[in-house]
Amino acid sequence: MRELSVRLLDNEAALRAARAEPSLTRTRLLQRAVVGGGAVVTGGVLLAGLPHVALAGRSAEQDVRILNLVLLLEELEAAFYEAAETRGKLRGELAEFARVVGEHERAHVAFVRKALGARAEPRPRFDFGDTTSTADRFAGTAAMLEDTGIAAYNGQAVNLTKPVLKAAATIVSVEARHAAWIRDIVGQPAAPDATDKPATERQVRAAVARTGFVKAAG
Amino acid sequence: MSHLTLEQFDRDGALREAGSRLPRKRFFALAAGGAAAVFGGLAAPARGATKGDVAILNYALVLEYLQAAFYTETERVAAVRGQAARAARVVGAVERAHVAAFSNLLGRKAVKRPAFDFKGTTEDQQAFLKTAVAFEDLAVAAYKGQAHLIESDAVLAAAVSIHSVEARHAAWMRHLFGIRPATSAFDEAKPKAEILRIVQSTGFVVAKRPRTRAQGGPRFTG
Repeated sequence: MRELSVRLLDNEAALRAARAEPSLTRTRLLQRAVVGGGAVVTGGVLLAGLPHVALAGRSAEQDVRILNLVLLLEELEAAFYEAAETRGKLRGELAEFARVVGEHERAHVAFVRKALGARAEPRPRFDFGDTTSTADRFAGTAAMLEDTGIAAYNGQAVNLTKPVLKAAATIVSVEARHAAWIRDIVGQPAAPDATDKPATERQVRAAVARTGFVKAAG
Repeated sequence: MSHLTLEQFDRDGALREAGSRLPRKRFFALAAGGAAAVFGGLAAPARGATKGDVAILNYALVLEYLQAAFYTETERVAAVRGQAARAARVVGAVERAHVAAFSNLLGRKAVKRPAFDFKGTTEDQQAFLKTAVAFEDLAVAAYKGQAHLIESDAVLAAAVSIHSVEARHAAWMRHLFGIRPATSAFDEAKPKAEILRIVQSTGFVVAKRPRTRAQGGPRFTG
């Protein structure tokens, strides 16, 4: 944890390098990934069908951006389970699930927030509407949020510096456990595929926007 | 000592990598199909992979062999019932797809499949679930311990997409076994040496495949 913060916040060389290219927009980064870069080309040869988009290069600056993306997801999940507990409509194992998983998500928020330090984006305001009002709606929403979390972490694995990847790996499998757990509670396939498909940042942000849960930045 | 260790298999893999004296061999007729299902086609042999990545892929392959064999045998023995039987069938198919994918990816650099003796754990409902939980939790910790060591982005992308599926399996088996699917906010990684020590301690990996068909005993299969 401490190590992670230091890497992110004190790696002056990496930060300077990132600042030296202020005109590098995301589009250009993507173009770069598509047209060049040995690792990306090799990837195409080895595993042509598996989608993974490597951004230009791993850097502390890029870690900050990615960690803020997963922070949004963790905040969203934590707030959702909190809302469900407050609403008090869940019984039995679903109530236990909301309580246990809520605790985990709050721990993830604290972890990512601490790693980001002053560079963490403020917590948005959320409104979960009627998704916590019945067991079915809760379970469906929980499964969707957990599946999205897995896809987001998996999609960013190749873009993270190694210390942050190592930390992220300890979180993503817990999200996967949550996803399988809630799916099995409601009789959905717990592990429907041989691989969990990754999602890009754009896909993740679009998925979050579609939920309508995020009302405003902090 | 009757049990081969996984380290020995791993050394075998390293030797092959260095010398490639052994002829190329396909262990699974459906390897290509399975690999396509997992990696979306064109899973060419890992010619470009670094020595380190080849070792990691072979390590993953051994763990997938172990799991695939366990579920396949469980299915054939048909002593496990209900939801657990369904899970064994679904998870077994996935683990076999992982085996096929890694085998195909490694091509001639792939380690040989060991022989297994699951000591009756595939023949009893509770023993099956307990062992499945142990295998899946172990696989999660194993993949997690390797992710940051992988050099190729393509191999890393493949490994993480399998890592989270193993975690889903772990949670699923735990739920069926009646224990909490997610016990902590963070899953800890385990280094390769520790994982191999644990696998070796089970005694499930044996020197020779038990003679089964002639004797009619349900044992390891493909």
